[in-house]
Amino acid sequence: MKTTELAAFLGAKCLQNTFEDREIAGAYCSDLLSDAMANAVDNGVLITIQAHKNTVAVGTLKDLAAIVICNNRPIPDDMIEAARSEGIAIFLTGDSQYTVSGKLYQKLNA
Amino acid sequence: MIVRADFHLHSCLSPCGDLSMSPRAIAARLAEQGIRLAALTDHNTALNCPAFDLACKEFGVRALFGIEAQPREECHILCLFSAPESALAFGSELYDLLPPVMNIPEKMGDQIYVDENEDIAGEIDKYLITSADIGIDELAARAIELGGIVIPAHVDRPSFSLTSQLGFIVDGPWAALEVVRMPDRAQYANALDTRNYPLITSSDAHFPEHIGRRAFDLDIADANLLRADGRVDLETIRAALERRPR
Repeated sequence: MKTTELAAFLGAKCLQNTFEDREIAGAYCSDLLSDAMANAVDNGVLITIQAHKNTVAVGTLKDLAAIVICNNRPIPDDMIEAARSEGIAIFLTGDSQYTVSGKLYQKLNA
Repeated sequence: MIVRADFHLHSCLSPCGDLSMSPRAIAARLAEQGIRLAALTDHNTALNCPAFDLACKEFGVRALFGIEAQPREECHILCLFSAPESALAFGSELYDLLPPVMNIPEKMGDQIYVDENEDIAGEIDKYLITSADIGIDELAARAIELGGIVIPAHVDRPSFSLTSQLGFIVDGPWAALEVVRMPDRAQYANALDTRNYPLITSSDAHFPEHIGRRAFDLDIADANLLRADGRVDLETIRAALERRPR
């Protein structure tokens, strides 16, 4: 699955669409950024409720393809800006981390 | 006596800190802003404290030597010491507890410390804005054991704070809490419950132009700000913080 397919697949809104489309290598779900920094998957997706620009810094370190923000958490503009300059896609969904992880697990690990 | 203070400052050693934030530039700017008491608090390291010590002496600013520590819970905690040696000892323990995630300077920013001449003395390898493998209670106890005081940072902010990570202000040996904005209880019935801890504000400056924003007044009454050895007396600071609004 590619980054551009995530919005339709998850039923999520894409809030930052300046990115290079790439194959999703995997996913990791965590709300502790230091844990995400240690365990997120390169070229993968981070599923989290941490909606602020520090999450983008983790994305930069791990070369993430996308960050999925769950539970419709409000996303500040500076997070979108940071993600745009780093070329990381941002998606927003009303689903919980559990639901998004479940959907992606079935798709990526099937 | 009222002392104008700023307890939260980042130097060029923090990857997010601007390269122009050398200890000397910070001290000069503090003096210019009328701030007489200031703490350098880089993320998980104190390696710019010796240079900050000398710079503050030059500009007549009383210095505290600190670290903005990040324990497992990911709440940022200001740990402040009288002597640079104590901050360095604490920083060295924290560094060993950081995971082996290396900084990528071109992506995340430089992590540079300087000597007394402002020449680059070294660069830190591990990425500093991550969690040391230590719990918040243990972290606070260790800082106090080394003679320090402990102040949870920006507790009203939606990231890296007690409230963002733990949901509320947890009890601890906090000398004060740092808030971004003093809560206006008259206006906001649902203002953050700060559990009767004294409150301070500080700049959290990463750029020179932010130094001094949100500085706060510390009433030390007739106590001595300095000990006999010329270092700031943390007992005076602790007592003065007790007089802050809650």
